[in-house]
Formats: sequence, structure tokens, C-alpha cells
Amino acid sequence: MSQTVQLATITTPEFTATPRLDAEVFKLELTGNADVAAIAPLTEMLVDLHGEITRVGARQVVVDFTQLEFMNSSCFKSFVTWISAALDSPSPYKVTFRSNQTMLWQRRSLHALSAFATDLIAIETT
Amino acid sequence: MIGIDAKLGDNGHDLAFFEMSFCPSLELVSLVRRFVGTFYLRVLDDADLASRVALATHELLENAVKYSLDGETNIRMEIRRVPTGHDIEIRTRNRTSPERAARLAGNIDEMNQLGNPFKFYQTLMRRSAKSDAPGGLGLARIAAESEMKISCVVNNDTVEVRAHAPAAEAA
Repeated sequence: MSQTVQLATITTPEFTATPRLDAEVFKLELTGNADVAAIAPLTEMLVDLHGEITRVGARQVVVDFTQLEFMNSSCFKSFVTWISAALDSPSPYKVTFRSNQTMLWQRRSLHALSAFATDLIAIETT
Repeated sequence: MIGIDAKLGDNGHDLAFFEMSFCPSLELVSLVRRFVGTFYLRVLDDADLASRVALATHELLENAVKYSLDGETNIRMEIRRVPTGHDIEIRTRNRTSPERAARLAGNIDEMNQLGNPFKFYQTLMRRSAKSDAPGGLGLARIAAESEMKISCVVNNDTVEVRAHAPAAEAA
């Protein structure tokens, strides 16, 4: 398995998305406010992320929302599209979302996302 | 125009509201969401409800700003004290095209006719997953995640979208 991630970090004034490969686990950490300024770069990253996960052969992906203040529905839709691609992938992988129980919207949004792909998604709450 | 009357409490007031008419950029929507979350948390002392209302406000305002013909949007937020608790309503009003107004009304009708917001949200997620078009989930998200009833009123080129959490559900 290659250990180099060929994805750039997203940095906007209010939002960052940082991908990395840690052992054989692909990690994506999101921080800040995923609003309109984040839609285009996040959508592009999540398309590329699926390709990278497949390329390196990762079987586990961890998406860290614990420092994510908010995500609008357009950014959320990008996650739906990514998860849909993962469901259709011939090289399946599992996705764990780490959520922050003090960010109350996360519980509802991640519940909806996990209902969309019950066999693929797990949620950890801190 | 900005109007605020947040005197809801033991002083005889049964209605707290604020109303703004402005030309927000999409970037300003997050500022309004933060204010709304803080406002509702302060007035109702209910973090979950404040979070739901803040999310609904963000989605409604983003839609209004995106589809406003002249960039101007009015938002009114009400908290009405009723015997069973607090009745919450958010209204956004803006000018828009007839095509957009008809599409919006149709989407809301489809959602409300199904009568199961979460199921409709899941259907829309499956539908939108294969689409390259951005967005499309905002109103369903409000209904499913914020647990608010969505309706709209179209009057010539003006559309008013309402998100309502009745007291029994808001409490």
C-alpha cells in the first residue's frame, strides 16, 4: 500500500479539511464552518478522496467532525455523493464519523447519513 | 430594517420576534445563523431547539439569497408563548422567478404529501447522490432534522417560505 496521500488540504478563512493516511486508515479532519465557501473545494475533494482510498487500498476511513461547527446542506450533499460512490465501489470500505456531542446538529445529520448507508457507516461520539 | 422585540418572559409578553430586511451575501448567512442560535438559546434555554432553529434559518436564508431576483431578503423569526409551550416560526420572503416559485411550491407539496419527512429526506438523498447539481436537500433537511413543517405562499413574484415548529413538538 502506498503511504502517500495525493490530496491537498482545503483551507478557507472559516474551514479546513485535512486528509492523511495513518497506518492503513484514511483520515479526514474537518474544522470550522462548512458553508457556501466550502462547497466547491469540499465536493472536489470528496470525489478525489474516493479515488485515493481505492488507489491506496484503504479499508477504513475516519472522518473527524469534532471541530466542525456547522455544515450546510450543499456540503452535506457532497458527503451523500461520496458515500453513494463508496456503496457502489467494487473495493468496499467502512467509514467512521467522529462527532462532537456539543455540536447538536451533528447527531441529526449523521443519523440521516448513516440511515442512507447503514452497513457502511459507524458513528463515534466524543 | 432590523426590528427586535425579545421581551418574552414573565412581563406579560407572549410574542418575541426579530425581523430583518437586508441584502445578505451568502457569507453573511453564517453570521445570522450564529446570532439566531444564540438568540433562541437565550430566550428559550433549550440548546437542542436553538440548534434546530439555527440550522433551519441557515438553509432558508441560503435558498432565499441564492434565488432572490434583486438580492433582497426579509427574514422574520417568532417565538410565541402558548399554554403548551412555545410556538416557533421562521419566515423568509424574497422576489423570485415564476419558474423558481413553481418548482419550490412543487417540492414542498411533494414533501408534505408524503407525510414522513425523514423518509422523504432519504429519498431525496438517494435521488441527489447521482446528480452533479449542487444542493437540493435544504428544505428536506429542515423538515427532517429541524423537525419543522415547511410551507410557502407565492404572491405574484414574491415567495414566502415558512418553517414552523408547533409548541407540542417544540417543547
